Amino acid sequence: MKSHSRLAAAFLKQEERAHWHDQALWYVREKRDRMAASVPDWEALRETAQAIKRHALANLPRYLEEFERNAAARGAIVHYALDAAEHNRIVFEILNGRNARLVAKSKSMLSEECGLNEFLDRNGVEVVETDLAERIIQLAGERPSHIVLPSIHIRKEEVGDIFHEHLGTERGESDPIRLTRAARTHLREKFLAAEAGVSGVNFAVAETGAVVICTNEGNADLGNSLPDLYIAVMGVEKVIPKTRDLSVFLRLLSRSATGQPISAYTSHLLGSRPGQEMHIVIVDNGRSEILRREPFHKAAFCIRCGACLNTCPVYRRSGGHSYNYVIPGPIGTILAMHRDLKKYKDMPYASTLCGSCTAVCPVKIDIHRQIVLWRNEVVEAGYLGRAKSAALKTATLGMKSTRLFRTGGWALRKLLRVLPPFVFNNRLTVWGKSRDLPKMPAQSFRAEYRAYSRRLTNGSRSGMNREGQS
Amino acid sequence: MKDSRRLLLDSLKEHAITGDTSYPAYSHPDTGITDLRRSFQSVIESVGGECRFVADPEAARKHVTGSQVFLTAKQVCSYVKEIAEGNFDAETKAAAQQCADVDLTIVRGELGVAENGAVWVNADPLRHRALLFLPGNLILVVEGRNIVPDMESAYARIDFTRLRSGYFISGPSKTADIEQCLVIGAHGAKSLLVLVVG
Repeated sequence: MKSHSRLAAAFLKQEERAHWHDQALWYVREKRDRMAASVPDWEALRETAQAIKRHALANLPRYLEEFERNAAARGAIVHYALDAAEHNRIVFEILNGRNARLVAKSKSMLSEECGLNEFLDRNGVEVVETDLAERIIQLAGERPSHIVLPSIHIRKEEVGDIFHEHLGTERGESDPIRLTRAARTHLREKFLAAEAGVSGVNFAVAETGAVVICTNEGNADLGNSLPDLYIAVMGVEKVIPKTRDLSVFLRLLSRSATGQPISAYTSHLLGSRPGQEMHIVIVDNGRSEILRREPFHKAAFCIRCGACLNTCPVYRRSGGHSYNYVIPGPIGTILAMHRDLKKYKDMPYASTLCGSCTAVCPVKIDIHRQIVLWRNEVVEAGYLGRAKSAALKTATLGMKSTRLFRTGGWALRKLLRVLPPFVFNNRLTVWGKSRDLPKMPAQSFRAEYRAYSRRLTNGSRSGMNREGQS
Repeated sequence: MKDSRRLLLDSLKEHAITGDTSYPAYSHPDTGITDLRRSFQSVIESVGGECRFVADPEAARKHVTGSQVFLTAKQVCSYVKEIAEGNFDAETKAAAQQCADVDLTIVRGELGVAENGAVWVNADPLRHRALLFLPGNLILVVEGRNIVPDMESAYARIDFTRLRSGYFISGPSKTADIEQCLVIGAHGAKSLLVLVVG
């Protein structure tokens, strides 16, 4: 498995594409800012959303049982799965029981996490992703690079090539409208032929048993309203207590995700429609462990809006595929670490710790703080790597001793002025890869500060207030 | 051996959430909107839909039956008979798939939300809820007095006790999945007209 920095370097080799990626996501971030600013109580809304999550997740067993009771009373069949394997097995058994061989599926990060498509494919069920981006990804044989904009890394000419090969569009077609129309026609056939629909869930309301799904394309709705078998899959954290809580989360979700006032379709499904069988699969797959883990439990508050990806300077410039976990970016990092500290040890370092993720998170997860804390865990576990460990150990030594620190600083100020640049800009120092050292100052900060203080003291005699000058 | 349900619910009893975990008190948001109708209309238009205000059902009928969408539609399925008669009766169709070629659905919206231009549609009167998503064109008819300022007001007015499916619909279906170019008309309607009567 290649590290984030290696994969990022590969992404950045295609300069024009990397720049486009960065700009496209920043544009979404700006749209989000305009939408957030148009809501007078935005900050209070984030507080409320977090408080509802805190309350709901602290009382999950009660709310899940209430949700189950109400959904079942309306005819939905509720299943519980402890892990990905059980989730996949349950979904397959439902499909197999009704002899469903073609599934119209709507975007679900949970099913990506569980590897549902591959599992069903191995068992002879054809899964057709129906979200346009997901379909592009599926035909290309790739995985999503973003949780809300899964094909953000693919250019329109490449979509044209993929559609030419699989949907028979004209060679060289790259017009987004014509390509979207071709996908509409192609997927409409699949919708009409599908024997089952599978989708994720945005919110599950305990009070009513409603499953709430937000989409712009209307694909989840065709997947629900056409076939006679429908399966909704959800993580345990999706349940919220009351219907009115939706007003809080819906005001935040689309504004944070894509800068829209609300998604085109917000669907409330309460049990099956006449003649239909509806199943709801509630999945843990590590979520209960996240909730038990102080100080990292807040990662479970996430509503999967993707705002932290759009704003992250590292994500925008390195692309979603540079992260090895199924969910990339800042939120992906703090979720991946719960899964496998060793496997994803490089992810907390794919961050500048600028805190922008925390600033935009609609449920106020302290993402960048958690990233720092995960770095501690990586170091404690001894997964840092020999070079980095040695460098840090040397630094620690220097930082601990005033004398060593001063002497070292003095020596470097002198030496780096006379040594040739390759000493820093060589293959061994990663920091020198795309940076030059700044000019060495004449004296240390300590010396500068002493001189500055002296000037101030002299100044205060002529009536200046030293305290106020800090 | 305990089943997965019991194991899962038990494992969620313990958690690390600290501090105040009570259900928060919160009230209607301040949307800063003074003119509900104007806000409702401008949001719908900003998301690619059309919103018209008409005085009464007669004016609505004139507007719809004279519209290009209605005149060019081969199959029209209407649930608002006083505004337009349809020529496709979906209620007699056993399977939703039989409604695949409907060009236009006209249906009532119970509420309009000023802050986001969304219209609440209760799909239960329709034998096939797919009629909201299959046709290329959708007309939603909302009464003028049913425009509310925000989502919280909307939810306060929706009765979920017997509801099977309800939708907030805001604008036509759309996607920006190819290079972030906004394309109106993904899988659902390519055009949406919201008619506010009275």
